[in-house]
Amino acid sequence: MIPDGDLVQAARTGDERAFGTLVERHHAGVYRLALSLVSDTDTAQDVAQDTFLKAFRALDGYRGDAPFRSWLFTIAANEAKAQLRRRVRRKETALDDARPVVGDEPSPADAAVVTDEAERARRVLATLPEKQRLSVTLRIDEGLSFREIGALIGSSEGAARVNYFHGIRRLREMLS
Amino acid sequence: MIIDGCERVRERLSEQAVPLDADEEAHLQACQDCAAEAELIRLLRGSRPEVPAELVGRIESALARERTSRGGRRPWWGLAAAAVAAVALGLGVPGGDRTGDVPAYAAEEATLELWPSDDGEIAGLPALDALSDDALAVLLDELGPSGPGGAA
Repeated sequence: MIPDGDLVQAARTGDERAFGTLVERHHAGVYRLALSLVSDTDTAQDVAQDTFLKAFRALDGYRGDAPFRSWLFTIAANEAKAQLRRRVRRKETALDDARPVVGDEPSPADAAVVTDEAERARRVLATLPEKQRLSVTLRIDEGLSFREIGALIGSSEGAARVNYFHGIRRLREMLS
Repeated sequence: MIIDGCERVRERLSEQAVPLDADEEAHLQACQDCAAEAELIRLLRGSRPEVPAELVGRIESALARERTSRGGRRPWWGLAAAAVAAVALGLGVPGGDRTGDVPAYAAEEATLELWPSDDGEIAGLPALDALSDDALAVLLDELGPSGPGGAA
């Protein structure tokens, strides 16, 4: 597999296929990260699209200090937050912005309706505080290191680890 | 409840696509707490949100539009280079008089010749300024009417 860094170099010289490979490789992660922040599939797609457009425009600014994926995810997180801010400006409530899919905690009736354990776990995951939710999502779904997660959520590596384990513990408590 | 090794096993459980070793598997068999965490992570990994099939195409279309708009737009340095090239080629303003409204300082510059004049110099002859009076007299005698090539 061609390393991301080599694809970035090729894309900078105008190789369209190289950037296409980066899209193919990272679009799912970008989409899932966006979805965990905006909780809406249409908006998450908008965020993913805008993320790759911005990355394409800013490719010369990528210095390679961090993995390309982390750089891309940072753009995605910023885009998602910008989308949320736009929603707030449209007079929607902050709570709805962050978690429109579920409430703070599913009621017993809701839980009974959700028969599939995995779906229920996902619904509960969406109710966690943002840093815990992102730490669990990025670790479990995308396989990021705690260092990468820390950089993304604006915390230290250690704080990212703590957020992850607190999130997992909270999930287990809520699901038990 | 087994505490020893729990932290290490849970960290390892969180790592993607890295199988546990024999010791860690044994810990999982003996520790209910860690087994429950392993089950939760298995559930989560098995339920990653589906990615819309049309997303890649949508992104590629947006990128294609971006490339097209970039191709039609000349960057600032392109404009500057084009301007310099136009001046170098003497294109000036289309339809304008190239000499009629040239400022004085520019007209003086334009009258300068690229190469110094060599009028009065003849290839092979010494420069007259460098000759002494005696040498000049000898040369004039040679070139005079009685000299070589002179009128008889």
